[in-house]
Amino acid sequence: MLDAHVVRRRDAFTVDVALQVERGGALALFGVSGAGKSTVLSCIAGLETPDRGHVRLDELTLFPPSLPLHRRPVGYLTQEANLFPHLTVEQNVRFALDGERDSPWLDELRDRLRLHAIWKAGATRISGGQARRVAMARMLARRPQLVLLDEPFTGLDRHLVRGLLDDLLAWHAALGFTLVVVDHQPAILERLTRRALVVEDGRVVQDGTWEALRATPATPLLRDLLAPL
Amino acid sequence: MIGRSRLIGRAGVGAFTLALLYPLAALFAPVGGWDWSPQVAGPSIDSVRTSIVLSALAMVIVVAIGTPVALYLARCARRERVWWQAALLASILLPPLALGILLSIAFGPAAPFGAALAHIGVGTTNTATAFVATQVYVSIGYYVLGAVAAFEGVPRALEAQAALLGHAPFDVFRRITFPLARLGLAVALSIAWVRAIGELGAVLITAYHPSGMAVQLWVNLQSFGLPAVMPLLVIFLAATLPLPWLAHVLAQRRARA
Repeated sequence: MLDAHVVRRRDAFTVDVALQVERGGALALFGVSGAGKSTVLSCIAGLETPDRGHVRLDELTLFPPSLPLHRRPVGYLTQEANLFPHLTVEQNVRFALDGERDSPWLDELRDRLRLHAIWKAGATRISGGQARRVAMARMLARRPQLVLLDEPFTGLDRHLVRGLLDDLLAWHAALGFTLVVVDHQPAILERLTRRALVVEDGRVVQDGTWEALRATPATPLLRDLLAPL
Repeated sequence: MIGRSRLIGRAGVGAFTLALLYPLAALFAPVGGWDWSPQVAGPSIDSVRTSIVLSALAMVIVVAIGTPVALYLARCARRERVWWQAALLASILLPPLALGILLSIAFGPAAPFGAALAHIGVGTTNTATAFVATQVYVSIGYYVLGAVAAFEGVPRALEAQAALLGHAPFDVFRRITFPLARLGLAVALSIAWVRAIGELGAVLITAYHPSGMAVQLWVNLQSFGLPAVMPLLVIFLAATLPLPWLAHVLAQRRARA
C-alpha cells in the first residue's frame, strides 16, 4: 500500500496532499497545469524532498528520512523519455537489469513492447514514440513496486497514446505494481484508473470515482475540466 | 553558388587564421644551422623527460583532486558556486611570476607550513616535488572550471533516472555522468596540460632545477642563441599541441553528431 502525505512549499502556494493507494491499485492525480500534481509525484519518487509529511510503500519508509533514490523500488516516467543518449536501446533497457545477461525477461520486454526493430539502434536515433516505449521497457525491467507517471503521453498522437495505454494496462495486470498517474487529460486517466484525486492550488478538492466527479464536481474549475470541448 | 558576402567572410576568416598561425612560420626562418651538439642535446633531452614525466604526474593529481571538486561545484546551489568559482578565478588570474614568488614564500622555510615540510624532508625549492606542486597550482583552476562546465552539460534528470533504476551514486557517475562529460573533461585536461607544461614564470622561481622544457628553452636561448632553441622548440610543440588539438576536434565532432 502507498501511504503518502506530502507538504511542500512553492512560490505561489503550499502543496499539501495526502493519498493512499492499495497495493496493486491505481490512482489519478487530476487538475490544471501548475496545481501541484507533479510536485506530489516528484516528492514520492524522491526527486524532491517534502518539507513535511511521510511517504510509505508497504513496509518501506521512503520519507522521512529520505531514502536514497537507488534504494526505492519506484519506476518514474515523465514526458521526457530520458534515455541515456550514449547507449543503444538494448543497453538502456539492460541498464535496469544489472547482472542478468541473457534474461528471458529482457526478451519478453523487447518482444511485447515491439522493440525488436530498434533493439540495436542508438537511443538518439529513434522516434519520440519509440523512445517512450523504450523508457517504459527500461522502467518495467526492474519490476518496480510503484510506478509513477507524470504526463508521459504528452506530445504523442492518439494512435501512439492508445498503444502505450494498452501496454501499460497489460503490464499493470501482469506485474501488479501500484500506479499513480498525473495528467490533465481525463480521457487518458480514465483508461488507467477508476479513482481520481482532484488537486487545485496544492490542495485536494475532491476524491472519488470518475463517475462521481462528473456527477457532482466540487469546484467550477473541475466542472470545466471535465466538460466536453 | 557561394554568395559575395559569404566569400568576403571566408576571405576575412582566412586572413585571420593566417595571421594567427603566422608565428609557426618562424620554424622555417633562416636562423642558421640548428644546434644539437652534446652540450645542448643532453640538458634538452633531460628537460623533455622532466617535463613529460612530472607534468603527467601533475595531471594525475589535478584530475584526482579536480574532478570531485568540479562535480561538487556543478551540483551545488548556484549561489554557493559563485563564491567557489570566484576563488578559482583568483588562482587563475594570478600572474604566473607572482604566483611563483608567492608559492616559494608560502612553501619556503620561513612559513610554518614550509618549515613543517622541510622538517619531514620534503624540499619545496628546486626539487621534483616543487616542480609538480607548481604545475598543479598553475593548471588546476583551468581544469576545474572546464570540468564544471562539462558536468553541467549532463542533464540531472538522466542521473536521477539512473539512480531510480537501482544504481548507487558512484555507479551513476561511472556509467552515466562520466561518459556524457568525458569529452568536456578531455578538453579541460588538455588545457590544464598545456598550461602546466608551458609554464615558465612560476616554475622559474620554484623549480629552476630540475629544468623542464620551458626553462631549458630559456636557458638555451640565453646560453647558445636561437640555433640551440629550435630543435627543443619543435619537441616542445609536439609534446604540447596534439593532445589539446585532438580533444577539441573530437569535442566538435561529437557536438555536431
